[in-house]
Amino acid sequence: MILPPDLSESQFQQVLQAFRQALGADWVFSSAEDLGPYRDSFSSVWDQDEERRASAAVAPADVEQVQQVVKIAARFGVPLHPISTGKNFGYGGPSPNVHGSVVVDLKRMNRILALDEHRHFALVEPGVSYFDLFREIQQRGLKVWIDCPDPGWGSPLGNALERGIGYTMGHFRDHIGASCGLEAVLPDGELMRTGMGALPGSQSWQEYAYGFGPDPAGLFAQGNFGIVTKMGFRLMPQPEHYTTGLITVANRQDFIPLVEHVNYLSDSFLCGEAVFASPLAALLKQPDFYRLATQKGGPSDQAMNRVARDNQLPSWQVELQFYGPKATAEANWRYAKDRILSAIPGAKAIDGESLPIPLTDQQLQNTAQPYASHIRRHGAMGVPSLGIWKIVRDDGHVGFFPILPRSGEAVFEMQRVMCDGLREFPLPPFFSAVTAPLYWHTFAFQMVFAPSVKRHDSAHNEMVNRAMGRAIEVAAAHGWGDYRAAPLYQDQVSQTYGFGDHALRRFHEQLKDAIDPKGIIAPGRGGVWPKRFRGLRRAT
Amino acid sequence: MIHRRDLLKLAAATPLLSWAASSVSSDAPAQPDAVIVDQRFRDQLPSLPNHWRQYDIHGDVTLVWYEKLDPSWRRPGFELVGITGADALFVLEQLAWDRGRRVVARSTLREATPYLPALVQWTIAPVHPSVRSKIT
Repeated sequence: MILPPDLSESQFQQVLQAFRQALGADWVFSSAEDLGPYRDSFSSVWDQDEERRASAAVAPADVEQVQQVVKIAARFGVPLHPISTGKNFGYGGPSPNVHGSVVVDLKRMNRILALDEHRHFALVEPGVSYFDLFREIQQRGLKVWIDCPDPGWGSPLGNALERGIGYTMGHFRDHIGASCGLEAVLPDGELMRTGMGALPGSQSWQEYAYGFGPDPAGLFAQGNFGIVTKMGFRLMPQPEHYTTGLITVANRQDFIPLVEHVNYLSDSFLCGEAVFASPLAALLKQPDFYRLATQKGGPSDQAMNRVARDNQLPSWQVELQFYGPKATAEANWRYAKDRILSAIPGAKAIDGESLPIPLTDQQLQNTAQPYASHIRRHGAMGVPSLGIWKIVRDDGHVGFFPILPRSGEAVFEMQRVMCDGLREFPLPPFFSAVTAPLYWHTFAFQMVFAPSVKRHDSAHNEMVNRAMGRAIEVAAAHGWGDYRAAPLYQDQVSQTYGFGDHALRRFHEQLKDAIDPKGIIAPGRGGVWPKRFRGLRRAT
Repeated sequence: MIHRRDLLKLAAATPLLSWAASSVSSDAPAQPDAVIVDQRFRDQLPSLPNHWRQYDIHGDVTLVWYEKLDPSWRRPGFELVGITGADALFVLEQLAWDRGRRVVARSTLREATPYLPALVQWTIAPVHPSVRSKIT
């Protein structure tokens, strides 16, 4: 039996009994079988001492029950780990930071409280999934879009609190950035609303996030200052039309101006997610090119250009997506072509599709572009999907997604540094001279390091964990930080954000100790440890 | 509706039926409410009774889950069997947990290859009191 920290079995039985009285026995889970769903299916330490597992789970039906759960936890000093739908795979899933925590499963709180197609917002509870919100919009025939991650089975609230991303226009892709007002149960059981929600009678909670005075909403993202029970989101008006196009550039160094032009288009709200790639990546199957693209110190531009020329391939490409009325979507594509082709010698453009929205099921499959497309079309259309699971290998993966500047120079540097830094690990080449950045966030690039885990191969998983540690360390030494991490890695990532002798972390922990003196809400989440549990911070 | 004695007769013919027969209690109707069949493995699939409600997938469960299973799983009952890739089962199992359901039987029919995931036969049944039907 797994027990919460510092509790005897008999004390734990008292806790469970108190939860049963508050929620009903059917909504308190403590058997090994019932707790299976609260393990991290992608854990790299499955069944090992380091795996963090829940001692129990409770599923409150409403805010009042959440308040009761928090008060019971405070009375007994039991750490809680709130989840919305628990689908945060690759980043810990539903598992807690502290072994023996009680998971607060908010899936029963699944009401869509507001959905406005004229002012473009939604207000939802934690258990509302992207599919739920999408279904409601479809059934009511509303002309608004969600922006969903891939896969789309998580919840808008949970994903935003993880600072997750999507695939439509930039200011909607950043899910915490597109949130607008929240309600949270604080560690003493009190209920707080942020922004205009703090003003009784306000009708603009989802239209002005800040209200008056300091806005603490951001503290709840990757934080542990309360249990968020409602959250507002800005929604994208459904566009009338969707236009795509491909631009290629001949030489390796052409990537630098290409990125600058795309930044201009994106920051001017002219295009949606830009999807970069190198057509040369297809050559990695050839041993000679693999050696060149991954050689220590990186290949020369001349060598890479020679390969591109010999194979009659462009060095880089970007797929662009335009939303809006047909006239402006197509005009924006024409403008993008003119702008880039006139500035970069040898750049070429291929017209993609130009389609009225909504797309048909066939068009959502993205099989008719006149070029090989890397666009996640469902995501680009705000349509949740589960199809991405076809890329999952072995027993899942862990993820390191370093943030880097939106420049070609920074991309080349990360390719070289991370390729060299991870060379000793027998893993696929996540970083090479043909690795492209992801334009998921509004104003920053990311790259991906996501090695697979094998549940029954501890030697492999140990290697993966060492590689993750090395990736975090090497990246931080060059000013690149992870944006999101599984509990197993959160302390190491937090450690890299150490400016001013960890002034930020000390600030967070001072707040934590003041707001949550018993340290009951998600201790350790985001690297923020309450005084009581600070000794559990992983040494790095 | 097929009952247990009929299913046991048929079980020798197909591993899926054999497993389905053993997964139900002796007085329960043995016919599942639906069966999911992963057509990526079409060369290795048993033939199923024509009157079983069959949903085909090609690895991706999105449409079947969204249009058929999610609405059904919000109500009590609904026993689902399947013969799918392990990747599809992983997704369905996660979604089933959200609705008080669990994989109550599973067996691997073929290990994974470089091209396809393992082939698994399974059943998902309601276990939580909020969705358990009277006959299960």
